[in-house]
Amino acid sequence: MFRQTPIRTGAGIALIAGLAIHASRGGYFDREIVIEIAILAMLAISLDIVAGFGRMISLCHGAIFGLAAYGYGTAIVKFGLPPSTGLVIGIALAIAFGALVGAICAGTVGIFYIMATLAFGQIAYVLIFESRWLGGDDGMTGVRRMDLSLIGLNMRDSLTFALVCLAVLVLVYIAAAVVLRSSFGRTLSGIHANEARMRAVGINTRMHKTAAFAFSAALAGIAGVLKAQHTMFVSPELLFWTLSGEVLIIVILGGIGTLIGPAIGATLLVLLKHEVSHYTVYWHVVVGAVLILAVLAGGRGLFGEFEYRLARWRARRRARRGTGGAADA
Amino acid sequence: MSGSAVFWITQLLNALQYSMLLFLLSIGLTVIFGLLHFVNLAHGALYAMGAYIGISLALRTGSYWVALVLAPVAVTLIGVVLYLLLIRRLRHAGPLSQVLVTFGLIFVFLDVIRILWGDIALGMDPPAALRGMTSIFGVRYPTYRLFIIGMGILIMVVLLVTLARSQIGAMIRAGVENDQMAACLGINVERLFFAVFCLGCALAGLAGVVAVPVLSATPGMGTDILIPALIVVVIGGLGSLHGAILGSFIVGFMATIGAVLLPGINSVLIFAALAAILVFRPQGLIPARG
Repeated sequence: MFRQTPIRTGAGIALIAGLAIHASRGGYFDREIVIEIAILAMLAISLDIVAGFGRMISLCHGAIFGLAAYGYGTAIVKFGLPPSTGLVIGIALAIAFGALVGAICAGTVGIFYIMATLAFGQIAYVLIFESRWLGGDDGMTGVRRMDLSLIGLNMRDSLTFALVCLAVLVLVYIAAAVVLRSSFGRTLSGIHANEARMRAVGINTRMHKTAAFAFSAALAGIAGVLKAQHTMFVSPELLFWTLSGEVLIIVILGGIGTLIGPAIGATLLVLLKHEVSHYTVYWHVVVGAVLILAVLAGGRGLFGEFEYRLARWRARRRARRGTGGAADA
Repeated sequence: MSGSAVFWITQLLNALQYSMLLFLLSIGLTVIFGLLHFVNLAHGALYAMGAYIGISLALRTGSYWVALVLAPVAVTLIGVVLYLLLIRRLRHAGPLSQVLVTFGLIFVFLDVIRILWGDIALGMDPPAALRGMTSIFGVRYPTYRLFIIGMGILIMVVLLVTLARSQIGAMIRAGVENDQMAACLGINVERLFFAVFCLGCALAGLAGVVAVPVLSATPGMGTDILIPALIVVVIGGLGSLHGAILGSFIVGFMATIGAVLLPGINSVLIFAALAAILVFRPQGLIPARG
């Protein structure tokens, strides 16, 4: 069950503040990294909603992300629509695809769920890859950013864009937290704990799982639309399953089911990738080894492990107080 | 013979040859899942290791046949190390942990291959006896590819007969059906499963060596073949030998013949078939448990 504890709030504020300072103090390259982190963190949070709170391990979140990016890009480049309409189309496309995949896969569990979402994601990838109209494997150039000069923001400025991405990340986190704290979110947690029992008490679990997946897809769609604006270019690579796998790794390393953990995981992985690539081109072996060790260590991830130890420490302290000096004897 | 007949016979033989590679690979995947209930995504990496070790052995010894025999042995040793270090520990850990750890292994093996053998695609010549073309059904077809088809069929028959007729086959069938009951009847299920796991690794290594003269080896080859092999296993039915055979033919022919009839769309059809099976018949076309 999700709780917005003070520690999570504190970690979130520290993370956002740190990234904002890094972006405003640093140069162009640092801002690009902050943007990359913010977008990946949104995608990781969206995956954590279904994977960490609904036992739906999706391997098609990359495809949802990419579809939203393509929806945005296509609306602008192919139909000449304004970017604001592109935004709506991109997110709507993500929700539609998410609802469809979520509804079809809702009856499957475990490894079958992973494989089925992988299959649907790859179908979307292949269709876009093979579409000459959408540029095939060359992708699509000429994607414009949104014009927010009405509220005094110049989106072509890298610092402004980085800060907008961080602000959207905060909104995505708040939306996820509000939904998970609602009665809907509690029902989802119930399905996570024991789906058969939730069905037995009269919950339509299929409908709840589908709705949760569609909501998660909406957040992934927001990330996708920002990605298209960031690179001003979309390519089928965005939809390929390895991106979904990478996001799943981020969720696990950060702490599945903690919501803020995946955002921290995204930050660390992007920074690690850039740091390790200074020393060696073989950064896959580092990530692979870290992932294996993280799962063997209990699979709680960085933030999850921190919360787990904290809870254990508190429980021990409470137990010591409760029994007075007897425990020391 | 007319040109189109030659074309179609060639395509059918290509499809058959690809099916055989998929079959060799999916055997390991499917028995490891059926017996050990373990999702081994690193199986594709074992295939890639087989290919690269085969290349090195063939270079050192100058003989393809030495590589063909020793590379599967080396891959089996790698598999044994993985089994003792990771797989045994994660057998009861749930699919997510298994997927993640073996996903991590894919990353590790990818870079190990790049460090040891480099990024460039490596090739290997088929042995002298299998070079050139052979006439079959009125078409001239590479002898080496016929060798792959023949070897695949041979292994298929040996496995089918062993599973259906031998005592060890009966023990494996009992283990898949109900491992606890089999253990109660005095079968050392752990040792049996371990032996089957080793066989699966050896076949993956064999598929790797055999594939090199046709496909050439790249660091990403294991990841590339993993998804088709997983589709084979799921379509056929996890843990089922008959299912793996049927699935290999379905995916092999859809990929090869589909590429001729519906270029570009054929892989969508394969994934659609996978999705349909997962949603409507998750036990697969030929389920392992009766």
